[in-house]
Amino acid sequence: MTEPMLRLEAVDKFYGPIDRCVHAVQNIDMSVQKGEIVALLGSSGCGKTSTLRMIAGFEEVSRGKIMLAGREVQGLPPVKRNVAMAFEGYSLYPTVTVRDNIAFALKVARLPQSEVDARVGHVSQMLEITGILDRFPFSISGGQQQRTSLARALVRDADLHLLDEPMGQLEPQLRALLRSRIKHYIKERGLTAILVTHDQTEANALADRIAVMEGGILQQYASPSQIKDRPANLFTGTFVGEPPMNVFPARVSTRDGQLRFDLEGGLDLTYAVADFAPDVRAQMLARRDVMIGVRPYAVHRAATGAAARVTANQWLGDQSHIAASFAGKSIVLVEHDRAAVVEGQDIAVAIHPADLHVFDPASGQAISHGHVLA
Amino acid sequence: MSLHLENVNKSFKSAKVLQDISLSVESGATLVLFGPSGAGKTVLLRLIAGVIEPDGGEIWVNGVNMDGVEPEDRGIGMAFQNFALFPHMDAAANIAAPLTARRQSKAVMSATVATVAKLLKIDHVLHHKPKELSNGQKQRTALARALAGAPSVLLLDDPLRNVDAKLRFEMRLELPRLLKDQNATVIYVTQDYKEAMALGRQIAIMNHHGIQQVGTPEDIYLRPANIEIAQLFGDPVINLLDVVPERGPEGVVVHLSDCPVQMIGHAAMIGQDCTLGVRPESLQFVAEGTAGAIPVEVETETPLNEKTVTLATTFRGREIMVSRPAGTDGPSSGKAWLRVDAAAALLFDRATGLRLEPAPRQESVT
Repeated sequence: MTEPMLRLEAVDKFYGPIDRCVHAVQNIDMSVQKGEIVALLGSSGCGKTSTLRMIAGFEEVSRGKIMLAGREVQGLPPVKRNVAMAFEGYSLYPTVTVRDNIAFALKVARLPQSEVDARVGHVSQMLEITGILDRFPFSISGGQQQRTSLARALVRDADLHLLDEPMGQLEPQLRALLRSRIKHYIKERGLTAILVTHDQTEANALADRIAVMEGGILQQYASPSQIKDRPANLFTGTFVGEPPMNVFPARVSTRDGQLRFDLEGGLDLTYAVADFAPDVRAQMLARRDVMIGVRPYAVHRAATGAAARVTANQWLGDQSHIAASFAGKSIVLVEHDRAAVVEGQDIAVAIHPADLHVFDPASGQAISHGHVLA
Repeated sequence: MSLHLENVNKSFKSAKVLQDISLSVESGATLVLFGPSGAGKTVLLRLIAGVIEPDGGEIWVNGVNMDGVEPEDRGIGMAFQNFALFPHMDAAANIAAPLTARRQSKAVMSATVATVAKLLKIDHVLHHKPKELSNGQKQRTALARALAGAPSVLLLDDPLRNVDAKLRFEMRLELPRLLKDQNATVIYVTQDYKEAMALGRQIAIMNHHGIQQVGTPEDIYLRPANIEIAQLFGDPVINLLDVVPERGPEGVVVHLSDCPVQMIGHAAMIGQDCTLGVRPESLQFVAEGTAGAIPVEVETETPLNEKTVTLATTFRGREIMVSRPAGTDGPSSGKAWLRVDAAAALLFDRATGLRLEPAPRQESVT
């Protein structure tokens, strides 16, 4: 295994006086390989921005070590770290044009003019800002400023590219296209990038691996598909994925070769015992009370199944989102065709045992995904 | 209470903000007013509320002309983007404000407050002052206050804007029922097309200071009046490709990367500059050699909620976005072939941007 481009070793961040400090980032270990795109994902106050700022050098590391391209960098000022940044507060140079903003670092690095022009041309075409290259930052929209800031970072050669909420201000119509293009650009140039975002859609679209953070703690660090199929705990399970995962409390029992989850409202989901590995059954039965989770696309309407009554059916053009009252709560189904159900209609829902996630209700940790242990 | 606007106009100094706005909302119905920022949506709500006066045109509430009627006498409830909560009062008192003004009994008031607070999931913060509430909670408090007054007309200005994604999704599913139970006539402003499609049986599209289309979610998504509306609905955005319809052996064809794509109808547009609109979900990866398939190079694949989005380029360098349900098979790189679902393709007049109805006159093309 080659040395990773970036390695965080037991990194902590404390704010405030020692006797009543805030432990914003708690003992984080993670590494980023060269050429990888990693997303730090979480809601505000989760510690993702503090982590990014420590990597960038804007924030001191309280404890632990940050290794970048084989060097220990926590003592180095930002400019000595060879990191390119697009930060929300890291504003554009107001006195020079968009073109010169983007070209700035390349000129400092004394690249030949033809090379500078080619690179600026390429990146601004990708980000749809060729038409504003000769304008000044104050005269362009927020979305255009954000794209300029992204271009200024992505045009550079650096060991690491740090992008803070890179698409927050972007026009919604451009987002999906630009996500695809940015990912392609980063991969084609072999750049290593970390982006911070609160938007799980953006993290899923761009990142090879997602670091899900909450309460200063790294909850899970895995690929989007692993997080989708094998969420480490209830937090990641319900935070990542749109629509969010359905979660219900259940009581587990076995009888006559069947494993049964009793839900509120007298409903049950019953499977063959063989649908779950013996150690999974043992873990579930030891607890009796568990939380079960199922993603909306894995809930199907069926001829027979648990009873639910439709409360909403919303067609979004390419998907139908159906909500139904189920086990004292609401269950959400996603269908890719236009669903012909109406409010008030009784339906039966079926959940395949392979799509069932089981969590410990006290710790929130995953017990099993489908028929195997977590 | 029905709501009716006729040729409403408004300018600020010399800038035209609203031009000849005519709209009708039936009693008890919800109309979604959708448009990009700066389209004039908020100004229109303020005119209806009576906070500002129109330069021309008429506003009718349940058959009564609102000209000269004071805002407080219009029977209209509002929840605006900037919350406008009373800072010295807790959430419960803010929600009860319209009831206090009506001198209702304490028991009735606290019951009403409890009900709406529970619906909007703010029952746990009722005793917090606005400064102790998150933006999402402030916004829901403002919405609760508007609902508590049980107004016959309710104006909601992007009430879910600051709410986090998870709660916004839940509220999107619950709001239609909540509004129906209120039995109010509602105008709901949003910039989120999914919210617009989910909440409104009727959507009015506002752009460039006017109403460009009024219709059901099906009308707007499947039969948008123009290119701009087609681009505002759908994620990823609709693919737009310049084409010139030609006469083919079996009717009208357009050429994409030199490959003929059979159209349905549109004989009248032969030889004219047009734009073909193809939604990402109306493109399908097919096997090499499939009739009408266009060769492309797959650049990247990105997951988008329950879909997989592929960015591909034609050999002429044109980018095409394709989406398919997550978990279904498709190429993630290299050469691939795409087929357009002609029945779902939209054709626009390139000069005017207007969508062209596919007049089914294929037979007459000889």
